[in-house]
Amino acid sequence: MSETANQKPQWAMVIDLDRCTGCEACVVACKVENNIPSSEEGSSRGRSINWIRIERYFEGEFPDVRVKFRPVLCQHCEEAPCEPVCPVYATYHTEEGLNAQVYNRCVGTRYCANNCPYSVRFFNFFAPHWDAPLDKALNPEVSIRTTGVMEKCTFCIQRIRKGEEKARDENRAVRDGDVVPACVGSCPTRAMYFGNIADPESEVSRLSRSNRAERLFEDLGTKPRVIYLSKQD
Amino acid sequence: MKRLAKALILLIAVIIVSGFVLMDVFGKPEAPVQPVEYSHWQHVTKEDGPRLECTFCHEHADKSAHATIPNISTCMLCHESIQTESAEVQKLAAFASRGEQPAWVRVYWFEREANAYFTHKPHIRAGVSCQECHGDIGSMQRVRREVNQSMSWCIDCHAQKNVSNDCYVCHR
Repeated sequence: MSETANQKPQWAMVIDLDRCTGCEACVVACKVENNIPSSEEGSSRGRSINWIRIERYFEGEFPDVRVKFRPVLCQHCEEAPCEPVCPVYATYHTEEGLNAQVYNRCVGTRYCANNCPYSVRFFNFFAPHWDAPLDKALNPEVSIRTTGVMEKCTFCIQRIRKGEEKARDENRAVRDGDVVPACVGSCPTRAMYFGNIADPESEVSRLSRSNRAERLFEDLGTKPRVIYLSKQD
Repeated sequence: MKRLAKALILLIAVIIVSGFVLMDVFGKPEAPVQPVEYSHWQHVTKEDGPRLECTFCHEHADKSAHATIPNISTCMLCHESIQTESAEVQKLAAFASRGEQPAWVRVYWFEREANAYFTHKPHIRAGVSCQECHGDIGSMQRVRREVNQSMSWCIDCHAQKNVSNDCYVCHR
């Protein structure tokens, strides 16, 4: 018991694709939580910022068509391809298995984004801007990134810190429900789960052992920390 | 040659003086003038004073991220009847009667560009005393910034106390 309590939690996410309806509530929640400006500027050239996006796949011929949705966010790979290419150590792996981005260190080489197979790293081509009254709704616990730095999903680090602090107050290890990232909390079909994968009792740990579990581009050897569940044919 | 030396000395003097002026205007003033001349020494250290605990006024220091500056109603708990003849207390009472809060000037803070998110609670839980980071405020009349809270200073203490120095502990 004491060993698991001393060990740092290892954060992971499970997304049940059979439950996802592609409503994009997670996308909106993420933007609001993490101070991501909604701007059309440069979006036609792929310069808009979405830490999480919904990918659509169409299967079959009309009229017998099925649509499949897949929310894609930073996979927090255990062997992250973005990390070794950073010349200034602005992206690195934390003890909790998070792929961290340090804005103050970033010099904007964009090597990391080019080396990311999931296209989940975003460069700030423009100065962030919010039309009134949205500028009054910024989250004070999240940095506002400036022009010229990379940014990406943090698994809502501000909520992780809060959850860990709560667990510490109650003198126990973190458990399910302590940390709920914005996307997970907003999902109306509860397709997303978040928790400590090092704890064999946790929901994510249990679901990751399911025979429906798969990881995105597993053959690349990136060892993603986001696990997708879907019906296996 | 003598004229040149004179001009050079004058130039250096101007640069130094303007440097100090600019630092006062744009930099962090070390001991900013407060709307009410509140003396920490009188309230905390003085022999026959009330000898208040830090958390009597900064009551959220051990409960939240921010130590918080008290509402003026906390001051008026005592100053409704104590020291009412003092000019500064009368200033305070005037604020209270108008239903306003004095615009206290910050002494310690991190710039927004630092992207640092300090939280008081875990530090106080870990037994860090207020004075370690804020200097001996209790002996000051007007609060003066005594500790240079640089990042290396944070890191040194974390390393000494065996606390994680992971970037994500403070920066998000």
